[in-house]
Amino acid sequence: MERSRMKRFLFLSVPIVTGLLCAAAAPPQDWASLKEASRNIRSVKAEFLQKRYLQILTEPLLSKGRFFFYAPGSLRWEYLSPLRSVMLQKGDTIQLYHFSEGVWKPEMTQAVESRRMVLAEISQWFQGRFDESKAFTHLYLAGPPARVILAPKEGINRFIHRIEIVLSARSGVIDRVEIEEPGGSRTSIEFRNVEINSSIPSEIFEKP
Amino acid sequence: MIRRKGLDICLLGFLILSGGCIPMAETALSPGSPDDLPVCYAIFPAGPWESVYKIEAIITRGVSSSLLGVTKGEPSERTLQSLLLTPEGFILFDAELREGGIAVRKAVAPFDSPAFARGLMEDVTLLFLPPQGRPKTWGKEADGTWVCRWESPDGSRTEVRGSMDHGWRILRRDDQGEVTREVSLNGPFVQGLAFHLELRASKPASYRLRMTLVQAAP
Repeated sequence: MERSRMKRFLFLSVPIVTGLLCAAAAPPQDWASLKEASRNIRSVKAEFLQKRYLQILTEPLLSKGRFFFYAPGSLRWEYLSPLRSVMLQKGDTIQLYHFSEGVWKPEMTQAVESRRMVLAEISQWFQGRFDESKAFTHLYLAGPPARVILAPKEGINRFIHRIEIVLSARSGVIDRVEIEEPGGSRTSIEFRNVEINSSIPSEIFEKP
Repeated sequence: MIRRKGLDICLLGFLILSGGCIPMAETALSPGSPDDLPVCYAIFPAGPWESVYKIEAIITRGVSSSLLGVTKGEPSERTLQSLLLTPEGFILFDAELREGGIAVRKAVAPFDSPAFARGLMEDVTLLFLPPQGRPKTWGKEADGTWVCRWESPDGSRTEVRGSMDHGWRILRRDDQGEVTREVSLNGPFVQGLAFHLELRASKPASYRLRMTLVQAAP
Protein backbone atom coordinates (compact mmCIF):
# COMPACT_ATOMS: atom_id res chain seq x y z
CA MET A 1 0.00 0.00 0.00
CA GLU A 2 2.86 2.36 0.85
CA ARG A 3 4.42 1.53 -2.47
CA SER A 4 1.21 2.50 -4.19
CA ARG A 5 1.15 5.83 -2.40
CA MET A 6 4.63 6.69 -3.56
CA LYS A 7 3.83 5.59 -7.06
CA ARG A 8 0.95 8.00 -7.05
CA PHE A 9 3.11 10.86 -5.84
CA LEU A 10 5.69 10.27 -8.49
CA PHE A 11 3.21 9.60 -11.22
CA LEU A 12 1.60 12.93 -10.41
CA SER A 13 4.80 14.93 -10.27
CA VAL A 14 6.35 13.40 -13.33
CA PRO A 15 3.75 14.38 -15.90
CA ILE A 16 3.86 17.89 -14.51
CA VAL A 17 7.59 18.21 -15.01
CA THR A 18 7.38 16.42 -18.30
CA GLY A 19 4.70 18.80 -19.44
CA LEU A 20 6.86 21.74 -18.56
CA LEU A 21 9.73 20.28 -20.46
CA CYS A 22 7.69 19.67 -23.52
CA ALA A 23 5.95 23.00 -23.47
CA ALA A 24 9.16 24.85 -22.85
CA ALA A 25 11.00 23.82 -25.91
CA ALA A 26 8.95 25.25 -28.73
CA PRO A 27 5.45 26.33 -29.72
CA PRO A 28 3.49 23.09 -29.47
CA GLN A 29 2.58 22.67 -33.09
CA ASP A 30 2.29 18.92 -32.96
CA TRP A 31 3.16 15.98 -30.79
CA ALA A 32 6.26 15.08 -32.76
CA SER A 33 7.73 18.56 -32.34
CA LEU A 34 7.06 18.42 -28.61
CA LYS A 35 8.91 15.18 -28.32
CA GLU A 36 11.79 16.50 -30.35
CA ALA A 37 11.98 19.77 -28.40
CA SER A 38 12.13 18.01 -25.06
CA ARG A 39 15.54 16.73 -26.00
CA ASN A 40 16.92 20.31 -25.92
CA ILE A 41 15.92 20.98 -22.32
CA ARG A 42 18.68 21.01 -19.72
CA SER A 43 16.83 22.48 -16.75
CA VAL A 44 13.50 23.79 -15.54
CA LYS A 45 12.56 25.65 -12.39
CA ALA A 46 9.19 27.06 -11.38
CA GLU A 47 6.91 28.00 -8.51
CA PHE A 48 3.50 26.42 -8.13
CA LEU A 49 0.17 26.87 -6.37
CA GLN A 50 -1.63 23.61 -5.68
CA LYS A 51 -5.37 23.53 -5.00
CA ARG A 52 -6.62 20.29 -3.49
CA TYR A 53 -10.36 19.88 -3.83
CA LEU A 54 -11.82 17.43 -1.32
CA GLN A 55 -15.48 16.62 -0.87
CA ILE A 56 -15.13 17.14 2.88
CA LEU A 57 -13.98 20.77 2.46
CA THR A 58 -15.97 23.75 1.26
CA GLU A 59 -12.80 25.55 0.17
CA PRO A 60 -9.80 23.89 -1.50
CA LEU A 61 -6.68 23.19 0.49
CA LEU A 62 -3.98 25.50 -0.86
CA SER A 63 -0.31 24.55 -0.98
CA LYS A 64 2.58 26.56 -2.37
CA GLY A 65 5.88 25.21 -3.56
CA ARG A 66 8.62 25.14 -6.11
CA PHE A 67 10.49 22.60 -8.16
CA PHE A 68 13.77 22.22 -9.97
CA PHE A 69 14.71 19.73 -12.65
CA TYR A 70 18.06 19.11 -14.27
CA ALA A 71 18.38 16.55 -17.05
CA PRO A 72 18.68 13.67 -17.08
CA GLY A 73 17.65 12.62 -13.59
CA SER A 74 17.78 15.34 -10.91
CA LEU A 75 14.58 16.60 -9.34
CA ARG A 76 13.63 18.71 -6.33
CA TRP A 77 9.91 18.89 -5.59
CA GLU A 78 9.34 21.15 -2.58
CA TYR A 79 6.30 22.33 -0.67
CA LEU A 80 6.75 25.63 1.19
CA SER A 81 3.33 25.81 2.85
CA PRO A 82 1.28 24.77 4.73
CA LEU A 83 3.67 21.89 5.39
CA ARG A 84 7.27 22.35 4.41
CA SER A 85 8.61 19.18 2.82
CA VAL A 86 10.89 18.20 0.00
CA MET A 87 11.66 15.21 -2.20
CA LEU A 88 15.16 15.09 -3.62
CA GLN A 89 16.24 12.87 -6.45
CA LYS A 90 19.73 12.71 -7.89
CA GLY A 91 20.40 9.72 -10.04
CA ASP A 92 19.31 6.68 -8.13
CA THR A 93 19.32 8.45 -4.75
CA ILE A 94 15.98 9.52 -3.32
CA GLN A 95 15.59 11.51 -0.10
CA LEU A 96 12.48 12.82 1.64
CA TYR A 97 12.48 15.43 4.42
CA HIS A 98 10.06 17.56 6.39
CA PHE A 99 10.91 20.83 8.13
CA SER A 100 10.22 20.92 11.84
CA GLU A 101 11.50 22.95 14.80
CA GLY A 102 13.85 24.89 12.54
CA VAL A 103 15.59 21.89 11.01
CA TRP A 104 15.04 19.42 8.20
CA LYS A 105 14.20 15.93 9.43
CA PRO A 106 14.16 12.75 7.37
CA GLU A 107 10.70 11.31 6.80
CA MET A 108 10.31 7.98 8.50
CA THR A 109 9.12 6.22 5.36
CA GLN A 110 11.54 6.18 2.50
CA ALA A 111 10.04 3.77 -0.04
CA VAL A 112 13.36 3.57 -1.81
CA GLU A 113 12.56 0.55 -3.94
CA SER A 114 9.30 1.85 -5.30
CA ARG A 115 10.82 5.23 -6.10
CA ARG A 116 13.67 3.68 -7.98
CA MET A 117 11.20 1.66 -10.00
CA VAL A 118 9.16 4.69 -10.90
CA LEU A 119 12.23 6.72 -11.78
CA ALA A 120 12.91 4.38 -14.64
CA GLU A 121 9.54 5.45 -16.00
CA ILE A 122 10.36 9.09 -15.44
CA SER A 123 13.63 8.98 -17.32
CA GLN A 124 11.78 7.75 -20.36
CA TRP A 125 9.39 10.66 -20.22
CA PHE A 126 12.17 13.20 -19.75
CA GLN A 127 13.56 11.99 -23.02
CA GLY A 128 10.26 12.44 -24.80
CA ARG A 129 9.62 8.71 -24.96
CA PHE A 130 5.97 8.96 -23.95
CA ASP A 131 5.01 6.10 -26.22
CA GLU A 132 7.05 3.81 -23.99
CA SER A 133 5.25 4.74 -20.78
CA LYS A 134 3.96 1.79 -18.83
CA ALA A 135 1.64 3.96 -16.75
CA PHE A 136 -0.14 6.35 -19.12
CA THR A 137 -1.40 6.65 -22.64
CA HIS A 138 -1.27 10.14 -24.11
CA LEU A 139 -3.43 12.33 -26.31
CA TYR A 140 -2.24 15.66 -27.68
CA LEU A 141 -4.86 18.33 -28.45
CA ALA A 142 -3.59 21.34 -30.43
CA GLY A 143 -6.17 23.69 -28.86
CA PRO A 144 -6.10 26.55 -28.20
CA PRO A 145 -5.15 26.11 -25.51
CA ALA A 146 -2.92 23.19 -26.42
CA ARG A 147 -3.30 20.30 -24.01
CA VAL A 148 -1.83 16.94 -23.26
CA ILE A 149 -4.22 14.37 -21.83
CA LEU A 150 -2.70 11.47 -19.91
CA ALA A 151 -4.93 8.49 -19.33
CA PRO A 152 -3.80 5.91 -16.76
CA LYS A 153 -3.44 2.30 -17.70
CA GLU A 154 -4.69 -0.63 -15.63
CA GLY A 155 -3.57 -0.41 -12.02
CA ILE A 156 -2.83 3.31 -11.91
CA ASN A 157 -6.47 4.01 -12.81
CA ARG A 158 -7.42 3.00 -9.27
CA PHE A 159 -5.79 6.23 -8.09
CA ILE A 160 -5.86 8.61 -11.04
CA HIS A 161 -8.76 9.05 -13.44
CA ARG A 162 -7.18 11.58 -15.80
CA ILE A 163 -4.41 14.16 -16.04
CA GLU A 164 -4.68 17.23 -18.21
CA ILE A 165 -1.70 19.49 -18.88
CA VAL A 166 -2.81 22.89 -20.17
CA LEU A 167 -0.12 24.70 -22.16
CA SER A 168 0.25 28.46 -22.11
CA ALA A 169 0.08 30.61 -25.21
CA ARG A 170 3.52 31.83 -24.19
CA SER A 171 6.08 29.54 -25.68
CA GLY A 172 7.88 27.56 -23.06
CA VAL A 173 5.30 27.75 -20.30
CA ILE A 174 2.33 25.68 -19.16
CA ASP A 175 -0.53 27.24 -17.27
CA ARG A 176 -1.68 24.40 -15.09
CA VAL A 177 -2.15 20.70 -14.55
CA GLU A 178 -5.48 19.17 -13.55
CA ILE A 179 -5.46 15.76 -11.90
CA GLU A 180 -8.78 13.97 -11.47
CA GLU A 181 -9.21 11.04 -9.12
CA PRO A 182 -11.93 8.41 -8.95
CA GLY A 183 -14.62 9.57 -6.53
CA GLY A 184 -14.62 13.23 -7.45
CA SER A 185 -11.57 14.65 -5.67
CA ARG A 186 -9.19 16.59 -7.86
CA THR A 187 -6.01 18.64 -7.77
CA SER A 188 -5.13 21.73 -9.76
CA ILE A 189 -1.53 22.94 -9.98
CA GLU A 190 -0.84 26.36 -11.45
CA PHE A 191 2.70 27.27 -12.43
CA ARG A 192 4.39 30.65 -12.17
CA ASN A 193 7.79 32.14 -12.96
CA VAL A 194 8.89 29.23 -15.11
CA GLU A 195 12.55 29.39 -16.12
CA ILE A 196 14.06 27.15 -18.76
CA ASN A 197 17.72 26.19 -19.06
CA SER A 198 18.86 28.49 -16.27
CA SER A 199 21.74 27.56 -14.02
CA ILE A 200 20.85 25.36 -11.02
CA PRO A 201 23.50 24.51 -8.40
CA SER A 202 23.90 20.78 -7.96
CA GLU A 203 23.38 20.97 -4.18
CA ILE A 204 19.76 21.90 -4.85
CA PHE A 205 19.26 18.21 -5.56
CA GLU A 206 21.44 16.96 -2.73
CA LYS A 207 20.52 18.95 0.40
CA PRO A 208 17.13 19.97 1.74
CA MET B 1 13.43 -3.36 3.50
CA ILE B 2 14.29 0.16 4.65
CA ARG B 3 10.71 1.19 4.03
CA ARG B 4 9.42 -1.78 5.98
CA LYS B 5 11.61 -0.95 8.94
CA GLY B 6 10.32 2.62 8.94
CA LEU B 7 6.75 1.42 8.96
CA ASP B 8 7.46 -1.05 11.70
CA ILE B 9 8.88 1.70 13.88
CA CYS B 10 5.76 3.73 13.29
CA LEU B 11 3.47 0.86 14.12
CA LEU B 12 5.46 0.03 17.20
CA GLY B 13 5.20 3.57 18.36
CA PHE B 14 1.47 3.61 17.89
CA LEU B 15 0.55 0.18 19.10
CA ILE B 16 2.99 -1.21 21.60
CA LEU B 17 2.09 -0.75 25.22
CA SER B 18 3.97 1.96 26.99
CA GLY B 19 4.54 2.30 30.68
CA GLY B 20 4.99 6.05 30.63
CA CYS B 21 1.69 7.04 32.20
CA ILE B 22 1.46 10.31 34.03
CA PRO B 23 0.04 10.15 37.54
CA MET B 24 -1.76 13.40 38.28
CA ALA B 25 -4.02 13.87 41.27
CA GLU B 26 -7.41 15.49 41.01
CA THR B 27 -7.69 18.63 43.10
CA ALA B 28 -10.49 19.95 45.28
CA LEU B 29 -12.93 22.41 43.70
CA SER B 30 -15.03 25.29 44.83
CA PRO B 31 -18.31 24.10 43.24
CA GLY B 32 -19.70 26.06 40.32
CA SER B 33 -23.33 26.89 39.64
CA PRO B 34 -25.42 25.71 36.66
CA ASP B 35 -24.83 29.14 35.15
CA ASP B 36 -21.13 28.28 34.98
CA LEU B 37 -21.67 25.17 32.86
CA PRO B 38 -21.06 26.91 29.49
CA VAL B 39 -17.43 27.32 30.57
CA CYS B 40 -17.08 23.53 30.40
CA TYR B 41 -17.94 23.58 26.69
CA ALA B 42 -16.20 26.81 25.68
CA ILE B 43 -13.16 25.15 24.11
CA PHE B 44 -15.21 22.97 21.75
CA PRO B 45 -16.80 24.19 18.51
CA ALA B 46 -20.51 24.76 19.13
CA GLY B 47 -21.83 24.39 15.57
CA PRO B 48 -20.89 22.53 12.38
CA TRP B 49 -17.32 23.15 11.33
CA GLU B 50 -14.51 21.98 9.09
CA SER B 51 -10.81 22.41 9.68
CA VAL B 52 -7.35 21.72 8.31
CA TYR B 53 -4.48 21.31 10.76
CA LYS B 54 -0.87 20.63 9.98
CA ILE B 55 0.31 17.86 12.25
CA GLU B 56 3.73 16.84 13.40
CA ALA B 57 3.58 13.35 14.85
CA ILE B 58 6.48 12.47 17.12
CA ILE B 59 6.47 8.74 17.63
CA THR B 60 9.77 8.19 19.37
CA ARG B 61 12.77 10.41 19.94
CA GLY B 62 14.08 11.46 16.54
CA VAL B 63 11.29 9.76 14.59
CA SER B 64 8.61 12.10 13.34
CA SER B 65 6.39 12.71 10.40
CA SER B 66 4.41 15.64 9.02
CA LEU B 67 0.85 15.24 7.85
CA LEU B 68 -2.25 17.29 7.18
CA GLY B 69 -5.37 16.53 9.20
CA VAL B 70 -8.74 17.45 7.72
CA THR B 71 -11.77 17.16 9.99
CA LYS B 72 -15.43 17.99 9.64
CA GLY B 73 -17.79 17.86 12.59
CA GLU B 74 -21.41 18.25 13.60
CA PRO B 75 -21.49 18.55 17.40
CA SER B 76 -25.27 18.28 17.75
CA GLU B 77 -25.21 14.86 16.06
CA ARG B 78 -21.80 13.88 17.46
CA THR B 79 -20.53 13.04 13.98
CA LEU B 80 -16.99 13.50 12.71
CA GLN B 81 -15.19 12.78 9.48
CA SER B 82 -11.42 12.84 9.61
CA LEU B 83 -8.77 12.54 6.90
CA LEU B 84 -4.99 12.27 7.05
CA LEU B 85 -3.13 13.58 4.01
CA THR B 86 0.48 13.64 2.93
CA PRO B 87 2.02 17.06 2.21
CA GLU B 88 1.32 16.32 -1.46
CA GLY B 89 -2.38 15.90 -0.70
CA PHE B 90 -2.76 12.14 -0.99
CA ILE B 91 -5.33 10.62 1.33
CA LEU B 92 -3.80 8.10 3.73
CA PHE B 93 -6.78 7.67 6.02
CA ASP B 94 -10.45 8.59 5.81
CA ALA B 95 -12.94 7.58 8.47
CA GLU B 96 -16.25 8.69 9.86
CA LEU B 97 -17.63 8.57 13.38
CA ARG B 98 -21.40 8.24 13.34
CA GLU B 99 -23.83 6.90 15.93
CA GLY B 100 -20.92 5.78 18.07
CA GLY B 101 -19.43 3.57 15.36
CA ILE B 102 -16.39 4.05 13.13
CA ALA B 103 -16.65 3.58 9.37
CA VAL B 104 -13.25 3.52 7.65
CA ARG B 105 -13.59 4.69 4.06
CA LYS B 106 -9.93 4.45 3.17
CA ALA B 107 -6.77 3.41 5.00
CA VAL B 108 -3.28 3.07 3.56
CA ALA B 109 -0.52 1.20 5.42
CA PRO B 110 0.68 1.84 8.08
CA PHE B 111 -2.64 3.47 8.95
CA ASP B 112 -4.81 0.50 8.04
CA SER B 113 -5.18 -1.37 11.34
CA PRO B 114 -8.47 -1.32 13.28
CA ALA B 115 -6.49 -0.29 16.38
CA PHE B 116 -5.13 2.77 14.59
CA ALA B 117 -8.58 3.77 13.32
CA ARG B 118 -10.09 3.40 16.77
CA GLY B 119 -7.25 5.32 18.43
CA LEU B 120 -7.25 8.13 15.90
CA MET B 121 -10.99 8.66 16.06
CA GLU B 122 -10.87 8.61 19.86
CA ASP B 123 -8.18 11.30 19.75
CA VAL B 124 -10.16 13.41 17.27
CA THR B 125 -13.25 13.05 19.45
CA LEU B 126 -11.28 14.12 22.51
CA LEU B 127 -9.98 17.17 20.67
CA PHE B 128 -13.17 18.43 19.08
CA LEU B 129 -16.29 17.03 20.79
CA PRO B 130 -17.21 17.68 24.41
CA PRO B 131 -17.70 14.57 26.54
CA GLN B 132 -21.24 13.26 26.48
CA GLY B 133 -23.67 14.35 29.14
CA ARG B 134 -23.31 16.84 31.93
CA PRO B 135 -20.10 17.06 33.98
CA LYS B 136 -20.25 15.25 37.29
CA THR B 137 -18.45 18.13 38.98
CA TRP B 138 -17.35 21.57 37.93
CA GLY B 139 -15.97 24.63 39.62
CA LYS B 140 -12.80 26.54 40.38
CA GLU B 141 -9.58 25.58 42.04
CA ALA B 142 -8.03 27.85 44.64
CA ASP B 143 -5.95 29.69 42.00
CA GLY B 144 -9.01 30.43 39.87
CA THR B 145 -8.54 27.65 37.32
CA TRP B 146 -11.82 26.33 35.95
CA VAL B 147 -12.22 22.53 36.12
CA CYS B 148 -15.01 20.37 34.67
CA ARG B 149 -15.00 16.60 35.20
CA TRP B 150 -17.01 13.98 33.36
CA GLU B 151 -17.21 10.28 34.18
CA SER B 152 -17.93 7.50 31.70
CA PRO B 153 -19.71 4.21 32.48
CA ASP B 154 -16.42 2.36 31.85
CA GLY B 155 -14.75 4.27 34.69
CA SER B 156 -12.67 6.60 32.52
CA ARG B 157 -12.81 10.31 33.24
CA THR B 158 -12.33 13.45 31.20
CA GLU B 159 -11.29 16.75 32.69
CA VAL B 160 -11.32 20.17 31.04
CA ARG B 161 -9.28 22.71 32.95
CA GLY B 162 -7.83 26.15 32.39
CA SER B 163 -8.59 29.81 31.91
CA MET B 164 -8.62 32.29 29.07
CA ASP B 165 -5.43 33.82 30.45
CA HIS B 166 -3.38 30.65 30.81
CA GLY B 167 -4.81 28.38 28.11
CA TRP B 168 -6.76 25.17 28.44
CA ARG B 169 -6.06 21.49 28.86
CA ILE B 170 -8.06 18.32 28.44
CA LEU B 171 -7.05 15.31 30.52
CA ARG B 172 -8.31 11.79 29.91
CA ARG B 173 -7.84 9.35 32.79
CA ASP B 174 -8.34 5.62 32.75
CA ASP B 175 -10.28 3.71 35.38
CA GLN B 176 -7.14 3.67 37.56
CA GLY B 177 -6.94 7.47 37.53
CA GLU B 178 -3.83 7.57 35.37
CA VAL B 179 -3.69 10.24 32.69
CA THR B 180 -3.62 8.54 29.29
CA ARG B 181 -4.11 11.68 27.15
CA GLU B 182 -3.24 15.29 27.79
CA VAL B 183 -4.24 18.00 25.34
CA SER B 184 -3.03 21.59 25.47
CA LEU B 185 -5.11 24.17 23.62
CA ASN B 186 -3.85 27.64 22.88
CA GLY B 187 -5.59 30.44 21.05
CA PRO B 188 -6.57 32.36 19.22
CA PHE B 189 -9.77 30.36 18.69
CA VAL B 190 -11.09 30.44 15.12
CA GLN B 191 -14.61 29.11 14.49
CA GLY B 192 -14.33 27.65 17.97
CA LEU B 193 -11.09 25.84 17.06
CA ALA B 194 -7.82 26.37 18.91
CA PHE B 195 -5.00 27.63 16.71
CA HIS B 196 -2.43 25.45 18.49
CA LEU B 197 -3.11 21.97 19.85
CA GLU B 198 -0.74 19.48 21.38
CA LEU B 199 -1.81 15.97 22.31
CA ARG B 200 0.41 13.77 24.45
CA ALA B 201 -0.60 10.15 24.58
CA SER B 202 0.97 7.86 27.15
CA LYS B 203 -1.17 4.75 27.21
CA PRO B 204 -1.46 2.29 25.57
CA ALA B 205 0.91 3.92 23.05
CA SER B 206 3.25 6.83 23.62
CA TYR B 207 3.28 9.58 21.01
CA ARG B 208 2.83 13.32 20.61
CA LEU B 209 0.88 15.31 18.05
CA ARG B 210 1.60 19.00 17.53
CA MET B 211 -1.13 20.64 15.50
CA THR B 212 -1.42 24.11 13.96
CA LEU B 213 -4.61 25.40 12.36
CA VAL B 214 -4.26 26.03 8.63
CA GLN B 215 -7.84 26.83 7.68
CA ALA B 216 -11.26 26.69 9.29
CA ALA B 217 -14.82 27.24 8.10
CA PRO B 218 -18.29 26.86 9.58
